[in-house]
Amino acid sequence: MTPSGPQPPLAPPAARQGPGPMPHALLDALALAVTRRVAGALPGDRRAAGVGAGTELAQLRPYAFGDDVRRIDAAATARSGEPHVRLEVPERTLTTWIAVDVSASMAFGTAQRLKADVAEGVALALGRLALRHAGRVGVMTFGAGEPRLLPPRGSKAGLVALRRALADGVGVDGHHAPDALADALGRIGRVARQPGLIVVISDFREQHHWTRALGSLRARHAVLAVEVHDPRESSLPPVGRIAVVDPETGKRLEVDTSRPRIRERFEALEAERRETLARELRRLRVDHAPLSTDEDWLLHLGRRLR
Amino acid sequence: MSATPLAVTFGSPIWLLALLAVPLALLALWASRRRATRYAIRFPAAATLAVAAGATSAWRRFVPAGLALAAIAALALALAKPQHTIAVPVAGASVVLVTDHSGSMSATDVEPDRLSAAEEAATTFLDQLPKATRVGVVTYSDGPDASRSPTLDRDIIKQTLDSQTAAGATATGEALQVALGSLAPNGKAAARPVSAIVLLSDGTTTTGRDPVEVARTAKRLKIPIYTVSLGTADATIPNPLSPLSPPIAVPPDPETLKQIADISGGRAFTSDDAGQLRGIYKSLGSRLATKHEEKEVTSTFAIGGLVLLLAAGLLSLPRVGRLP
Repeated sequence: MTPSGPQPPLAPPAARQGPGPMPHALLDALALAVTRRVAGALPGDRRAAGVGAGTELAQLRPYAFGDDVRRIDAAATARSGEPHVRLEVPERTLTTWIAVDVSASMAFGTAQRLKADVAEGVALALGRLALRHAGRVGVMTFGAGEPRLLPPRGSKAGLVALRRALADGVGVDGHHAPDALADALGRIGRVARQPGLIVVISDFREQHHWTRALGSLRARHAVLAVEVHDPRESSLPPVGRIAVVDPETGKRLEVDTSRPRIRERFEALEAERRETLARELRRLRVDHAPLSTDEDWLLHLGRRLR
Repeated sequence: MSATPLAVTFGSPIWLLALLAVPLALLALWASRRRATRYAIRFPAAATLAVAAGATSAWRRFVPAGLALAAIAALALALAKPQHTIAVPVAGASVVLVTDHSGSMSATDVEPDRLSAAEEAATTFLDQLPKATRVGVVTYSDGPDASRSPTLDRDIIKQTLDSQTAAGATATGEALQVALGSLAPNGKAAARPVSAIVLLSDGTTTTGRDPVEVARTAKRLKIPIYTVSLGTADATIPNPLSPLSPPIAVPPDPETLKQIADISGGRAFTSDDAGQLRGIYKSLGSRLATKHEEKEVTSTFAIGGLVLLLAAGLLSLPRVGRLP
């Protein structure tokens, strides 16, 4: 899909650390967890409509002109004396949509890596899992200008598209789109017709009105919300007076962090914000995986999903 | 001591260039605030932090800076050695009040009547004079009747002024001569402290010597005569001979009084109401027997600047951790 309108430039953040090692053993363990989570959307649990290529017999019917001769069922033809074709239940493959927040606030991290690095790692790990068993991966990046949507692709093509989308980096500072998450979720809801897994990777910061869109996605799909945060975002050390700037809104502020009252209020407000987010996701019955930049995100993702 | 602030002059005005430090400081302040925000830390939770920190009042942001700038300005002015011109009393100065209490002073065109207004104004004058100034008094009607040579005792003068009653003719020249005699007993102008005569009259001289001649003598003795002409032009008093006779017109004579003042080197005032009269006497009281001296007030400016600087520091250091 081609982006419309002027795009704010994306750039890999200067402090990029990369997502770090992704051991196969961990990925396999994660695959189990994810499979269990999305089992409701997989074939077997839910019968697919129509017929198609598969292994399970759907019906036998007389051969009609145009049918593939390879589908002629020998046994049925012999019994009835008429050529019959064998039709099978189509084997649905799992389509995974990965929505990645690439807003400027993701280019922040004070521990092992940036929030954007964790988001990239989660997207790659879940993308690899999604491509197993002939699955397909669609990628959506949002938060910096027009959301970018890469249609679901399978196998290596899907992985390449995912890698390329992630390699573009995150939006540069000074661009704020408070409705980006809601728009991206709405768009995925319109294009994802078949039930699948939807992974939303974001910091869920300064975003409005996304709960309704996420709720309507939850009705059809398995949804996993990965919240990425940095420890510095929930508490400030007493480092005296600092000037801070919001990377997205560009609002500047001078704060005296040595005043305990300010630090305590900040911690309380941030804790309340994250608590509200968790409560909201729980209400929508969306899997919530909070990941921090100061820990082994892959391990924690697996633990959260187990 | 009566000191009227008049003007501020500068001993070394070249140092006023130091005032340029004020716009420079303003510029530096602006640059430092800009630098502080340019090297701001990217922080996604800035919006929450802004809520946590609360709004900084404009008072907090601008008052310390304003105080510091004022301190710089005051210190820059102190460099230029500001001098304050003040009036200091002249040691040994003498003033003689010459007050008319002729019959025309009973006219009521001035509230409550001319004599009472003159007495009240003279009292104000006495209060305004520096304590070290000797004051004499000569009251006159048909001739100078009560005379006090210059003394520091204000009470005697007030008693003399209060004991006047409006009656008789106007012998201005004679009274002035007596006043001159009390200021310059031997008729010489040499080595004599600053003296002045304040003449209050409400009419034409009717008897005695010509006051203009006396004014020339005063000029020779270098004693200025300040004249105050009291009353309105159409004032009348009841005829003392018979209540049935037409009232007598008692207009003041400002021309002669002005002549006296001009000749002797004083100033002439005219007044037709009590408030104005008091104002004239008040300004005379603070002007006579004083001289203007330039006093250096560098220390005042320096102390003021340091106090402002201290205030700016106390306001801004605990919160901002630096001068504004």
